[in-house]
Amino acid sequence: MGPLSQLVRKEWLLLRRDGHALLLLFLMPTVFILIMSLALRGLFAGRSQVALSCIWLDQDHSPESAELEGRVRAHPEFKVQAVSGPEQELREGIRAGKAQFLVLVPHGFGRALEGRRPLPLRLVAAPSLEPVLLKLFDASLREAAARTYLKVALRRLTKALGGDAALPGPGLDAMQGLVASPSFEGSAPDSTPSAVQQNVPAWLIFAMFFIAIPLSNTWVQERAQGTYARLLSLGLPRWKLLLGKLLPYMVVNLLQTGLMLAVGVWLVPVLGGDALALGAAPAALALMALAVSFAAVSYALLVANLARSSEQATILTGVTNLLLAVLGGVMVPRFIMPPTLRALGAWSPMAWALEGFLDVFLRHGGLAQVAPRVLLLAGFGCLSLGAAALLFRRHQGG
Amino acid sequence: MIKVENLHFRYPSASAPPALDGLSLEVPTGSLYGLLGPNGSGKTTLLSLLSGILSPPLGAIWVDGMDLSLHLAAVQARSALVPQDLAFYPRLSVQENLEFFAGVGGLSGTAASARVDEALRLAALLPNRHQRAERCSGGLKRRLNIAIGLLRRPALLLLDEPTVGIDPQSRHFIMQSVRDLHAAGTTVVYASHYMEEVAELCDTVGVLDKGSLLAQGSLEQLLAVEPGRKKARTLEDLFLRLTRTALRD
Repeated sequence: MGPLSQLVRKEWLLLRRDGHALLLLFLMPTVFILIMSLALRGLFAGRSQVALSCIWLDQDHSPESAELEGRVRAHPEFKVQAVSGPEQELREGIRAGKAQFLVLVPHGFGRALEGRRPLPLRLVAAPSLEPVLLKLFDASLREAAARTYLKVALRRLTKALGGDAALPGPGLDAMQGLVASPSFEGSAPDSTPSAVQQNVPAWLIFAMFFIAIPLSNTWVQERAQGTYARLLSLGLPRWKLLLGKLLPYMVVNLLQTGLMLAVGVWLVPVLGGDALALGAAPAALALMALAVSFAAVSYALLVANLARSSEQATILTGVTNLLLAVLGGVMVPRFIMPPTLRALGAWSPMAWALEGFLDVFLRHGGLAQVAPRVLLLAGFGCLSLGAAALLFRRHQGG
Repeated sequence: MIKVENLHFRYPSASAPPALDGLSLEVPTGSLYGLLGPNGSGKTTLLSLLSGILSPPLGAIWVDGMDLSLHLAAVQARSALVPQDLAFYPRLSVQENLEFFAGVGGLSGTAASARVDEALRLAALLPNRHQRAERCSGGLKRRLNIAIGLLRRPALLLLDEPTVGIDPQSRHFIMQSVRDLHAAGTTVVYASHYMEEVAELCDTVGVLDKGSLLAQGSLEQLLAVEPGRKKARTLEDLFLRLTRTALRD
């Protein structure tokens, strides 16, 4: 074995014997992924295409109320369950979270449409519901009710105009064509991630960058104990010592990637969450993992060379990683951040990493789509590594 | 022979005075050279320069006729530095540490195994070869620190405070090992604070302070009566007379 293989083997032995580091690198992100994917499932569901649940209590049982129910059911975003029973019991069900909405169609609703004063529908929402979702459902219900009312009104008008003759011009169903189907500018319609799509890459990236803690601690100790002085006195060049850290820790990062993706694909659904879809571009995924790892380990080497003690290294790593994670959308998704914070977060390498993974998982991106993020991460890694090498030279003399 | 001429060195971040300030000295081949000096006198800096870890902005070092700045690899191949700190990996076993340093030092295969066994034997570490270094006693750790330095059978051994913080038995063992290495032809530079060790072991002694050499010679030469001055009774007596009694950082 050459010197470089010896350095890599040594690092591997040291890591295997550092239980705390292994827990930090592998168990912590696994637990975070599981908790966050499951706990935030509802919140993310509200932003994606998961159906909003609705209990439908029809006290009228008229053709009009049936038509109204049919129109609401036709929305792919709504999951309607027709029920019967006392209203109070159903309201308690809403409060207990059994569904997000209760729609009550009062007795006489259909007949009232023919009169001058319609009987209003009643809509009750769950207390924890986001107001925007309530507005969305309310608007859809009003639209369905208006179309039902118009149909009745047209029927009456037709009758008043003389029997069965149809009115000239477009029919009621042509209302659908008044507004074209909405489209997203520049991105696919499903570009908002689900809880698992957001949390698996987010906490994976966090864990990859957290490698700076064990790495910087061993680096500082080796420097303080004179081990590097001894290795340099054996004629080992500094770049080999840096590479001797970079390579094994990148392998650790790739093992983290494999484990976290496996957790997202297999373990989260077992526990009741959605399964992570990996996209259709394994090469892009592998390239992203390599780029993130290079950036994370190079950054760790920079911190290790900036710090003068293990305590300093731990604090510096902890604080900067948390800051990069908060800004980069690991802890709070960037799409719900205000514009200023979102713009600030665009400077975080964790944001580049997260967007790159989401390109693959969510937007079905390939190598071409992830290339800009990969270049940014590689550039950040090269700058960090270069600065680390300069500081190493300065600390160790020569 | 080691020849050091007008050596200057200043650490980049320090606003303190230079670590070495025009130092010149000679260490004859095959000698056991004791380097004495108070804290901050420049002993460790000199050893770092001799081992090629640091390079001097001014001055020159020759080892066996080779200019260190031009023949760094060749000089490093025949010398070994044993740092003052325990410069190995606590979570590796004694043998794993030796195997690692043999490997990065360019040894491989059966040659590496043979040298590891030899170093274990020389440092009396055979019974502890599978023990994790972090679980070794202070004396065992010091012996391991030296054993690593012996792996490449260096012609020049640079020892920086090799007996700090150990029991008398381990100190006796280390001193005997140094004597044996010297007897086998190794040139040894032995930096220490312990006057009695240096007086007992070394054939030549250099006293260093504030980056300059204050005195150099055999113990007898150093203790000889200077005209008009009272004779120093011991090396410590002489050392304090040369470096004064003011406390150092």
